[in-house]
Amino acid sequence: MSGKIRIRMYNVGFGDCFLVSVPAPDRTLQILFDCGSHSAGPGPRKVEEVAADVIAEVTVNGKPRIDVVVATHRHQDHVSGFQSELWSKVEVGEVWMPWTEDPQDPQARKVLDTQSRLALHLESAMVALGLADEVVSVARNSLTNAKAMRTLHDGFAGQAERRFLPPKERSNCSFSPACLPGVKVHILGPSHDPDVIRDMDPPATESYLRLQVAKGSRSDDLKLPFGSNWVVDESVFAIERPYLCLKPTEVGRIINFGKGEEFELAVALDRAVNGTSLMIMLQIGQSYLLFPGDAQWGTWSVALSDPTWRTLLARTTFLKVGHHGSHNASPREFVELVLSNEFLADVSTRPMSRWKYIPKSQLLAALKGKGGKLARSDKDEHDPPEFERVGDKYVDLEVFL
Amino acid sequence: MAKRRSVFVESPPARRPLKIFAFDPMLGRAAGNRITIDITNEKLAPGPQGSRVEVVDYDGANRCYYEPVNLDHPFILMQGGLAPTESDPRFHQQMVYAVAMKVIENFELALGRRMTFRRSRRLRLMPHAFYGANAFYDPKLLAILFGYFRADRSDPGPNLPGQTVFTCLSQDIISHEMTHSLVHRLRRLFLEPSNRDVLAFHEGFSDVVAIFQHFSFQSILRDKIQETRTDLRSPSALVDLAQQFGYTTGQGQALRTAVGNPDPKLYEQVDEPHDRGSILVAAVFDAFFATYQHRIKDLIRIATGGTGKLPEGDLHPDLVNRIAAEASKTAQSILTMCIRAFDYLPPIDVTFGDYLRALVTADFELNPVDDYGMRASMIEAFRSRGVYPDNVVSLAEESLLWEPADGLPEFPVEQLHSLILSGAQQYSSSAEPDRFIQTVSSDDQERDRTSSVGEAAEESEADVEGLVASQLGGYGRVNAAALGLDPQRSIAVLGFHPVFRVAPRGQLLVEMVAQFGQHDSAPDERFGGVPFRGGTTVVASAEGKVRYVISKPMRSANIAEELQQQAKLREQRQLEFVDHVDRSDPLLAWGDDAYVKNRIVRRMNFAAMHRGVR
Repeated sequence: MSGKIRIRMYNVGFGDCFLVSVPAPDRTLQILFDCGSHSAGPGPRKVEEVAADVIAEVTVNGKPRIDVVVATHRHQDHVSGFQSELWSKVEVGEVWMPWTEDPQDPQARKVLDTQSRLALHLESAMVALGLADEVVSVARNSLTNAKAMRTLHDGFAGQAERRFLPPKERSNCSFSPACLPGVKVHILGPSHDPDVIRDMDPPATESYLRLQVAKGSRSDDLKLPFGSNWVVDESVFAIERPYLCLKPTEVGRIINFGKGEEFELAVALDRAVNGTSLMIMLQIGQSYLLFPGDAQWGTWSVALSDPTWRTLLARTTFLKVGHHGSHNASPREFVELVLSNEFLADVSTRPMSRWKYIPKSQLLAALKGKGGKLARSDKDEHDPPEFERVGDKYVDLEVFL
Repeated sequence: MAKRRSVFVESPPARRPLKIFAFDPMLGRAAGNRITIDITNEKLAPGPQGSRVEVVDYDGANRCYYEPVNLDHPFILMQGGLAPTESDPRFHQQMVYAVAMKVIENFELALGRRMTFRRSRRLRLMPHAFYGANAFYDPKLLAILFGYFRADRSDPGPNLPGQTVFTCLSQDIISHEMTHSLVHRLRRLFLEPSNRDVLAFHEGFSDVVAIFQHFSFQSILRDKIQETRTDLRSPSALVDLAQQFGYTTGQGQALRTAVGNPDPKLYEQVDEPHDRGSILVAAVFDAFFATYQHRIKDLIRIATGGTGKLPEGDLHPDLVNRIAAEASKTAQSILTMCIRAFDYLPPIDVTFGDYLRALVTADFELNPVDDYGMRASMIEAFRSRGVYPDNVVSLAEESLLWEPADGLPEFPVEQLHSLILSGAQQYSSSAEPDRFIQTVSSDDQERDRTSSVGEAAEESEADVEGLVASQLGGYGRVNAAALGLDPQRSIAVLGFHPVFRVAPRGQLLVEMVAQFGQHDSAPDERFGGVPFRGGTTVVASAEGKVRYVISKPMRSANIAEELQQQAKLREQRQLEFVDHVDRSDPLLAWGDDAYVKNRIVRRMNFAAMHRGVR
């Protein structure tokens, strides 16, 4: 495969797993972007099998080696594959994660803590409510994914260096790493900008606080705010103060505020975690490969309003379509005004009966209408000739250096 | 010789003093944080329940009520109200009642009419309604629900970790929510987001009212003037909103602040209603500060022998007192000006630019001469933030005034006379405590809940009925095209009320304000469930001469070309707004068809807007 970059999109169902192989003078550089699958949207094969395939693919002379493993963000559908024991044998040069994973960064700890705590409470509350598994899976996706994250933070063979990106200094966000000769890397997000960080905070709603109470983790929260001598029983109050007494329907409205919003909260949390996504551009020769993870409007907005980044984004020759083709990870401004008329794109997705707007058909149509050549991981929808599909395992795309 | 019994009867005092926290309990016993304010005296039932608001202390988290306070109890009257404390729910009830009434008074002062709620029902204040770091106005319950919660354990700011925080003890939060309820009363459709400014206006305006009430607290004001050497912009409790709430929810700072750098980029980029509203707050605060500086210049010259340079060390207390008086007068003028502008706002689709025009017009009507340059400062503050009204040729005061009406026939004033009279009676009776308290007595409270006080005034507010409605409706239909409305569609009378104001020079200004509206009833998914509307506010003099027509034209081939252009522009703006909401709405990906169809309508509630009170 000399002279060509190969981008392999594994079919993991609703999730991401991309292996980028770049020819170098003495060997092939291997860069892995994510390896995970959503519990509600499995692929044709288990994610462990996909992980095994990846490992087999990067094995040379019996020694598996990946130069850089990128975990764009800690969602299950991007990291669950790292639970596999097989990774302990794989030698990894560097692991790149968003700055929100940095254990030394107090701001990062705070973001992570809030997100994980909410995920935990939410999942158990949704289970307790008996909500459909598919619905609960949205919260489950944001759980800590501890085992997989342990692999990423401490696992793999060799002395993998961990990098938490982007650096705080804007001028250090473009660099040529020693481990990837010939590759220039641009880290476009997630920014350290307070506005972007605020988007990483799931909303502290009253239902969230109530969840914590229900969970019993902070049982003292439900204590009366006053001494019991001030309390008047509902039935007594009805007799003593009929003119102030609320009707049963009014009481119902008050105690039900914020209830039944668990799903919305789970979706808000999902977005908050997506907001931590690394957005990376690999510049190799004439190729500009854009991996935006599942970055949301906050990150995109910062990137689009930075003139240098905007110019860079306009050069995109390959796009990993964000968040499985949903509308909120590919802003219209980028698709319509910035993206050029000639690009290749991979969409790692699968239809889900319940969420019919993922992938969003209008977005895929808009990308194609723009002149983009596009393949989906799950099915052949008139694959353009540049793509090569191997059964239901993966789709390869080769581009000249 | 028998002594004759005196016929002397004690008349009730006009004002009732009550104690509150000036800011919130976080400032504790800091000088000036425990203050007494006075409000109109009315007879109260335990609750307190007055003629327009009532405190219903129901705790939805614990499913119980708390003992209601009887503010007319001699022991409480003797102390001038209960002393501020966090541990007695009755003080909480007293504080929400007092602050709520203060806000109502500020509105009445500025608007020149008595404020009542829909169908003369009482607004309910529920100081401990739920467990949560939030507070919101719920139009359906006609209630403001305040939450309570535990301070962040890891990052409580200057509070105890895990301490209970009551949103109902923050003057700012009460004023803010109270203002929401009054704005909703005056302009029900301002809850319908048809452009990026509508909800932001709701939030920003509510913050303006909360902030400017700070400046009526003399002792704090004097301290800050001394401390900041007259620079009231420097960070302090005066210009911050809801400090305790901000710190206890782990934000490490006050919830919001009135001071913001003029950066036109913000108005272009910021969408979140509270943040966008802060642009409005900062502009108004700038205008305040400029006017205040203008007003104290002479004092400083006198005090410094003409150099204008303040000496080292403390300022002379007399000087501080005089400056504090100017600051609080200026703040009250600005607040009054801000509220008064309401009558000159369109009934729908408001923008910050419309608000600037309303401010200028309303103030011009009352004070044609801009003595302290208040209007000029206001215009400059908006301009420096990139807020430009539509359809004006320049930012000169004359072009910002709403266009005078041409060729519109006189208002059907004959039929409205009785309304004007009853409005005047209502307004003047509210100044007389004894007559006023006749209107509510604890015996017939049950009846009061449904019928009650001020029926006449109520009719003249939004739910216009009977002859008046048909008269006004007829006027609207006949003159539809001139009002920017589509003659082919039905036109609703959204509101009518007479207004009584006394200009600084002493003359009485009586005006009538009517609002008309109509909408496109065909559902349009592009707008997420919100219809496209047209609406017009008409301001007429007491004799019926139409002075101003403030219109948001409807799409229609039957109106002037220029108005059609405006309607088109408004539609584009509504689409742009929906697009902005959509791009950061994750539910659009995870939601179903029903969600997509109603996605914007679903944002139209304060509980959701205040989620995480941002």
